[in-house]
Amino acid sequence: MQDIHLKGFGLLSPELVLGAVSLLVLIMDLVWKERGSSRLGWISIAGLGLASFLLLLGFDDSVGDTAFGIVVVDKFGNFFKLFTCASLAVVIGFVMGDHRERRDRIGEYYFLLLGAGMGIFFMVGTNNMMLLVLGLELLSLASYALAGFHKGEKRSAEAAMKYVVFGGFSAGVMVYGISLLYGLTGTMDLQVMAGTAEGVGLTRSLAEAVTTSPATVALAMVMILGGFAFKISVAPFHFWAPDVYEGSPTPVTTFLAVASKAAGFGALLRFLAVLFMSPDVAAAVGEYGIQVGSLIAIMAAVTMTLGNLAAVRQESVKRMLAYSSVAHAGYVLVALVAMNGPGLEAAMLYLVAYYLMNLGAFGVLLYFQGQTGKETYASLNGLGRAAPLISVSAVVFLVSLTGLPPTVGFFGKLAVAKAALAVQDGAYGWLVLLMLLNSVVSLYYYMRVAKHLFLKESDGTTVRPQPAMAILLVVFAALNVIFLLYSAPLLKWTSASMDLF
Amino acid sequence: MDSLLTLSESTILTWITFIPLIGMTAILCVPRQNMSLIKGIAGLATFIPLVLATMVYFGDFQTGANGYQLVQSLPWITVGEFQINYTVGIDGLSLPLVWLTTLLMFIAVPASETVPRLSKAYYALLLLLGCGITGVFISLDYFLFYVFWEVMLLPMYFLIGIWGGPKREYAAIKFFLYTLAGSVLMLIALIAMYLDQGTFSIPEMMAIGKAGMWTGPELLGMSFTTWAFWFLFIAFAIKIPCFPFHTWLPDAHVQAPTPISVILAGILLKLGGYGLIRGCFPIVPDAFRDNAYVLGVLGVISIVYGAYVALGQTDFKRMVAYSSVSHMGFVLLGMAALTEWGMNGAALQMFNHGTSSAACFLIVGVIYDRAHHRDLNAFGGVAQVMPRYWALATFGFFASLGLPGMAGFVSEAMTLVGAFQAEDTRFQILVLISCLGVVLTAAYILWALQRVFLGPLNEKYKGYPDINGREVFSLAPLLFLCLVLGIFPFYLLDWMDTSVVELMSLLKPGS
Repeated sequence: MQDIHLKGFGLLSPELVLGAVSLLVLIMDLVWKERGSSRLGWISIAGLGLASFLLLLGFDDSVGDTAFGIVVVDKFGNFFKLFTCASLAVVIGFVMGDHRERRDRIGEYYFLLLGAGMGIFFMVGTNNMMLLVLGLELLSLASYALAGFHKGEKRSAEAAMKYVVFGGFSAGVMVYGISLLYGLTGTMDLQVMAGTAEGVGLTRSLAEAVTTSPATVALAMVMILGGFAFKISVAPFHFWAPDVYEGSPTPVTTFLAVASKAAGFGALLRFLAVLFMSPDVAAAVGEYGIQVGSLIAIMAAVTMTLGNLAAVRQESVKRMLAYSSVAHAGYVLVALVAMNGPGLEAAMLYLVAYYLMNLGAFGVLLYFQGQTGKETYASLNGLGRAAPLISVSAVVFLVSLTGLPPTVGFFGKLAVAKAALAVQDGAYGWLVLLMLLNSVVSLYYYMRVAKHLFLKESDGTTVRPQPAMAILLVVFAALNVIFLLYSAPLLKWTSASMDLF
Repeated sequence: MDSLLTLSESTILTWITFIPLIGMTAILCVPRQNMSLIKGIAGLATFIPLVLATMVYFGDFQTGANGYQLVQSLPWITVGEFQINYTVGIDGLSLPLVWLTTLLMFIAVPASETVPRLSKAYYALLLLLGCGITGVFISLDYFLFYVFWEVMLLPMYFLIGIWGGPKREYAAIKFFLYTLAGSVLMLIALIAMYLDQGTFSIPEMMAIGKAGMWTGPELLGMSFTTWAFWFLFIAFAIKIPCFPFHTWLPDAHVQAPTPISVILAGILLKLGGYGLIRGCFPIVPDAFRDNAYVLGVLGVISIVYGAYVALGQTDFKRMVAYSSVSHMGFVLLGMAALTEWGMNGAALQMFNHGTSSAACFLIVGVIYDRAHHRDLNAFGGVAQVMPRYWALATFGFFASLGLPGMAGFVSEAMTLVGAFQAEDTRFQILVLISCLGVVLTAAYILWALQRVFLGPLNEKYKGYPDINGREVFSLAPLLFLCLVLGIFPFYLLDWMDTSVVELMSLLKPGS
């Protein structure tokens, strides 16, 4: 009995570390009362480092479940947990490098970020819908507070308010959908629903539920997908994204666009994989999954087209990046229409590419925003000469976002396109074509940033050097190129992490 | 196996491609004030590839040998379902274009002297462009081909966008968007074919195409190969550019600085034609044969329409730009005819257009640097103040016109004869129509020369210095080639013929 307890604790150690560090940061902020020191930031990053170390240590062998089977520890979960740690570390680095950030409540800032990270950990590490919702809510609550972190700013308060209203509504819809599924199957566990595990008590599989009450299952599916769609900002649940992204402090925007979105994808991927894609899954459920795939295809098509067309019309770079992240969510969904293992791997590969290029792009935005105090295209005029290294890195990120070689963004698009074309005799060719044509459209607005940096005359803005941020951005730009030229580790990592079935 | 870093038969192509990239890195390390050193590095990083390519031409390359030569193949991304190799090699069709690339890159460096706001970034981007273009010509792996194909877009965008004319921003993004729209079609065809047969190797894909082994599904009533053919064709047709995909070209050409126009007309357009015979026709030969006549028609429209529009231009450079549309139409017509003469003529025409149009852009650049405008109607009598320039300009434009004895004549005549011999007799009508283009070409070139050089001297141009040594240095090798290949075309044809025969055997059924 004791063994089981210890093993459980061992499996949960990254979560425990994260929780401990978040509390430590909150307390030390009160004890030190220091303003302008970056000690708390380094403590947070060290905590994330320790959590990542524990995750990597157990990457190959610590697989199992704990807390009566509710928390699942597997490589798939570890992939997204590592992803979260890596994103949070960079976001905290951004907070430290953001000169305009007032330092009086910095402990809370880190506490909320780490708390959101913990929510993600539980979200991506469970087969139980109940814990999934709890993790999602933990992430959301922390995010609402973060979006409104600049209390005095009207924009920030408005962002938080919008986020709460939209978030609360969509979470409600999702929970309602889950309750319908629970009513039909008598279980919260995805594997029991799928018929790949034995349930406790009176349960039945989704296959039976589909035959007896197809309309209810369809309604439940639409509602649950809607809840996920909110988190990953997919149409028609994306309306919050531009306003919230624009109003939030830029590091928080980065967090929402990268870590929070990847978490939503992590949970969605697991939901779809366990319920529909496993080879042991009942045939009827598998066929139902194909139909869910076509629903996802429509969502993908609408999302990327809307996101791109809206991004073209923006005058604020931050808003443009917000719409672009909507479009990118659509691209990831394109991989999911395959509804098979390679599709999930492609989605994960794309998310890694998305991490590399989007963190870089937001970092560049933060860098120039800190210098000029503005976030419009025009404020970038001629900065290519004033800050050549950052601007060249910016071009690398933009090219990567467009999906052109020689950057990892191209490889991501290639993998996604390949996954979607490989199924159903190329019936999703139209979707892939639409995705690539969308990337042509996106070239226009991404290159607009390059145009203002390099092609427009400077209006005399000078740039104070920020060496730490500059190094971080140049390293990210280099990684964007290196991971195309040497993509084997990336491919190996994503395929090793696909152990859901 | 040789070490990867020594210069040997298997690594020489890689060196030719990547020496400009090494030069670019070196330039980025030099402080920006030291322009003479930067220019020196740029000159060296383009001169060494030229020497190496010449060595390949006269040394390592076996004339008349079948298949690809100087092949280097290394595994690149070989994880799971991805099997991608770094495979490079050349045959008689790519070698002349590789050599032309190295030559024009080398010429572009001294020709850049008069570009305003010149800086080290300009030379760095120029060298990156050179690396990308050469890479396309030597790639034997379609994935690698695609990577190089896209790599050259970005430097081109900035070279036009930063150092171009008044409407440079519009022209640069238009060029970028057009080409990218084509490349995504190429990409989708590429992925579909990879999923079908599991290879990115161009020779293997050609073998599959010849055996008719593409098994992909029919979509919307069109076979898999037809889809692939049209997607690939449009990607390359935008680059050629053939009617109706040509509208980016005049803008890009007019706004680009002279050396960039030279590279654009001299090499970038050849990528389209080369792409067709390397990456489109032999890979889906049956779909190509079914649609050859359509391509012939598009070629003829390009010839006549390009020439007709050129006739109406008042901007000297815009006129030359439209003449490129017209001349590249011959390439398409020759290829579509599916005869050995036509194919040889098309390949030769690509090289000849590379030299003659590059020369024409340099010639326009010379007068533009002095007058700072290109309005054909505002010149007049320039021959009186710049006699040497007049002579060279007439030479260059006559080469472009296709005067007998000049290179353009041989290749255009060959494509027309080849098209006339085509099995599909409808091509004979196309040849007749395209002769109209030849007449129009003579008209716009002679009329332009007359307006610029002859007539009473405009007082404004009185004090103009004649063409200087640097300008002649850039121009001379191109004019020399126009003349030599006009008299001895077999210098090039001997190199190409074996590869053309091989290509024809891939394209024709059952041979």
